[in-house]
Amino acid sequence: MKTILVVDDELGSAEVLSLILEEEGYRAFCAVNGRQALIQARDVVPDLVIVDFMMPLMNGAEFSRELRADAQFTGTKIILNSGLPEAAIREQFDGYDAFLRKPFKVETLLDLVQRFIGR
Amino acid sequence: MTSSTTDNVPPIERLRSSVPGLDQILGGGLFRTGVYIIQGLPGCGKTILANQICYGHVAEGGAAVYVTLLAESHSRMIQHLSALSFFDVRAFPDKLAYISAFHELETSGLKGLMSVLRREMRTRKVGVLVLDGLVAASEGASDIDLKKFIHELQSIAVLQDCTVLLLTSGNIHRMAAEHTMVDGLVELEDKLFDARSERSIQVRKFRGAGPLRGKHSMRIDNDGITVFPRIESLYRIAAADTTTSEGAVTSGVPSLDALLAIRGVPASSATVVIGSTGTGKTTLGLHFLHASTPEEPGLHLGFFEGPDRLRSKARSMGMALEPLVASGAVELMWQSPVEATVDEIAERLLAAVSRRAVRRLVIDGLSGFLESTVYPERITRFFSCLVNELRNRRVTVLMTLETRDVVSSVVSMPWGVSGLVDNLFFLRFVHDEGHVERLLTIIKMRDTEYEAGLRRLKIDSQGMHIAGTYRADGDVIPSAQPVASPEGPAPSPSK
Repeated sequence: MKTILVVDDELGSAEVLSLILEEEGYRAFCAVNGRQALIQARDVVPDLVIVDFMMPLMNGAEFSRELRADAQFTGTKIILNSGLPEAAIREQFDGYDAFLRKPFKVETLLDLVQRFIGR
Repeated sequence: MTSSTTDNVPPIERLRSSVPGLDQILGGGLFRTGVYIIQGLPGCGKTILANQICYGHVAEGGAAVYVTLLAESHSRMIQHLSALSFFDVRAFPDKLAYISAFHELETSGLKGLMSVLRREMRTRKVGVLVLDGLVAASEGASDIDLKKFIHELQSIAVLQDCTVLLLTSGNIHRMAAEHTMVDGLVELEDKLFDARSERSIQVRKFRGAGPLRGKHSMRIDNDGITVFPRIESLYRIAAADTTTSEGAVTSGVPSLDALLAIRGVPASSATVVIGSTGTGKTTLGLHFLHASTPEEPGLHLGFFEGPDRLRSKARSMGMALEPLVASGAVELMWQSPVEATVDEIAERLLAAVSRRAVRRLVIDGLSGFLESTVYPERITRFFSCLVNELRNRRVTVLMTLETRDVVSSVVSMPWGVSGLVDNLFFLRFVHDEGHVERLLTIIKMRDTEYEAGLRRLKIDSQGMHIAGTYRADGDVIPSAQPVASPEGPAPSPSK
């Protein structure tokens, strides 16, 4: 079973996404900031991370950089999401595999997830 | 030897809010490092106000963080804010960030929340921190815990040079524990008056300074929030004694000037022209306006007739306004009487007066102000302040006021207008042996002699002129004196 880590400081939306992903047959975990997500990632080694850009403690860009720097996550895909337009984010950080502008439709997310890691 | 006088205590710097009008009612802005509550029911504009302050601070080179608890999702908030002119995507994430601290509150209570706020202030070096959802933070907490939380927040705010805004939709009529602790309490309201709603802002508490007290109207549009300080709180100084010292200003009607000892109305005076529909009030106003020059600019504020109609009306009486508008001698300003508050209109009017150093002002349709207010009992004080301020700015004002009865021997004078203005002209119709005639009576001129009595008034393709004295041989002899309205200060508006 593929593993997905959902990272969002708005815990409600992270939890809802996790439940949907579980219903789709994935193993899903939640974290509320980048620092907590790193600890969890080392524990569960996710195939894919869905991470929010603006978060306390460690934001989505900082988290993704740390993840990329760790060899054990070489194959982990990163979907970055934010309410901001991608252009504004790409100026500062582009180390992600896909970007989703919030609010997004769940079908859009599931298509991306399937494209990256299958079922 | 050391001195311990208060001269050595530096004043606390202010944080400019970038919300037009807000700093004015705060006496210069929020105090930096203060902790303020912004309170009001959902939909009253708290989120926009706090965001506008954040973006304004960022635009001035600072940084801000917006921390939510159980509030609108960040993406939704960004979507809503992106339609507003102050939104700037370049601020993210270094200068402005939206973060949620609800998880910390849920798992570790106020202590966990405080830890997030402390960390965000330090790491992001923000000058403004917003905590949206104080209600969520206070739920389950005792009064003493909440007071300790605010106290700690105040200490950190000073150490980190950060101004804190706490947003809450808590009961605005209840004195809560946190109210006693914070440096200021700003209340927003969106109140319904029949079918019309009016937004207002009130500074209920503000340590260290005296804000403009009471409710001030507020508008939300694509530029965010604009506050319009109540005119009575802004302009409290007495009017300069100018009416007798600056000479005369022509009314624009030579035969009317001839009835006045100084051949015109006193400069910087206020004149009301009262009469029923069709008696010639707007025409007299157009004559007054038409006498404007680039050196003595004129402004026409109309509530009912728009600029095109005015130009056409003036043209039909031999007065071309177009060249005057083109040369900058005249500006025609139209204002809907129902889409703005009286303070908003007054601000717009005074700004237009200042912009062009206006010396001749026509306000056509005084009851437009009455229609714009949801507090009719305010109108006399409001109007008194406006007229005083215009006098102080050396503006000679001519205002029209419509009476309801077309032909009447008695006129109801609303709002105590007579006591507020310097000069009063009364226009009316009379029936006389099968004819209807227009009459003009000068009821009152301040500090100036005038010829009293009834004058025939003619309006033709050459405009308005006095056509001799009227002798009432017919059935109707109109009253020479308007009387105060028996119903009180604010009758229902006509025009």
